[in-house]
Amino acid sequence: MGIVIAVISGKGGVGKTTATANLGLGIAMNGKKCVVVDFDIGQRNLDMILGLENRVVYDMVQVMDGEASLKQALIKSKANENLHFLAASQSKDKSVLDSQKVEKLIAELKKGFDFIILDAPAGIESGYEHTIEFADAAIVIVNPEVSSIRDADRAIGILDSKSAKVKAGEDVAKYLIINRIVADMVESGEMIKSDDILEILNIKLLGKVPEDRGVIDASNQGKPVILDKKSIAGQAYTRITGRLCGQKVDMKDIEVSDAGIFKKLTGMFK
Amino acid sequence: MFGFFKKKKSASVAKDRLTIAIMSDRDRTNGYPFMDEMKAEIMEVVQKYIGVKGVEIRKEVDGDVEALAIDIELDKEA
Repeated sequence: MGIVIAVISGKGGVGKTTATANLGLGIAMNGKKCVVVDFDIGQRNLDMILGLENRVVYDMVQVMDGEASLKQALIKSKANENLHFLAASQSKDKSVLDSQKVEKLIAELKKGFDFIILDAPAGIESGYEHTIEFADAAIVIVNPEVSSIRDADRAIGILDSKSAKVKAGEDVAKYLIINRIVADMVESGEMIKSDDILEILNIKLLGKVPEDRGVIDASNQGKPVILDKKSIAGQAYTRITGRLCGQKVDMKDIEVSDAGIFKKLTGMFK
Repeated sequence: MFGFFKKKKSASVAKDRLTIAIMSDRDRTNGYPFMDEMKAEIMEVVQKYIGVKGVEIRKEVDGDVEALAIDIELDKEA
């Protein structure tokens, strides 16, 4: 039986869909069978990031409504055969989701995959609630910036009250990815530190992803940045997915810029 | 001496502002997990006697005093 992970953020535009694509591909590269599902009904985007937009024939709403089989709707990634993708509906709106249909779809996916990654819509409306309802765990994506952190806290609050696991008296696991960290800004005190974000949100750290221009280059091409071995964001996702697949990968301190390391080294000889 | 005029770094301003904003968000919305249930039950009780349109519950904090403010909107047509 697979584990269901919802990728959530509260605020839009923080890199949630990019994170979902890279988490899914990274898990697949670790040899696990993984499916990524776009729950952002009406605003399909994950297909573009994965470079699969021309392959979408059926979407997840059609599967839920019995208009297509799961087998017909699942799209195999070009980058890794362990990765599959289920598209959001582009024509319908978020109100088409209901708990029973979502539960049935997820139960079916759990039979065939080790990891089921759900890309939640931005905001904390019903579409978001349906994404988290049957998740075993959530990965929260934030940027080191006040509005993103505040909205993440609201999203976590809803997770803690509306998740089926919580209602059954269990805990839903929560982990944080801090995205778009600019090392020299953290060093100069112009960007909030990871430790402070963790303290405010009271959540465990899964990983830190540095700001990287390569991310846009990667989405231009529909090739997730984790495939680019030279990209610092790609390397961060390799470390994060290694952790998710049970490897022990140390936290790399990406909040120190190369200049900062040099200063530290020269400081030693003063 | 110059330290006195030194501007506070914006990251620590962000941390302070966030801590306060999130604390008040949590009080208002996620203060109690049973809020929705309590609303429904209050509505049920009042409904026995008079038509009700909706119930709003807010947690209000004034110094050491914490209170629940309950607003019950009546349904004129009922």
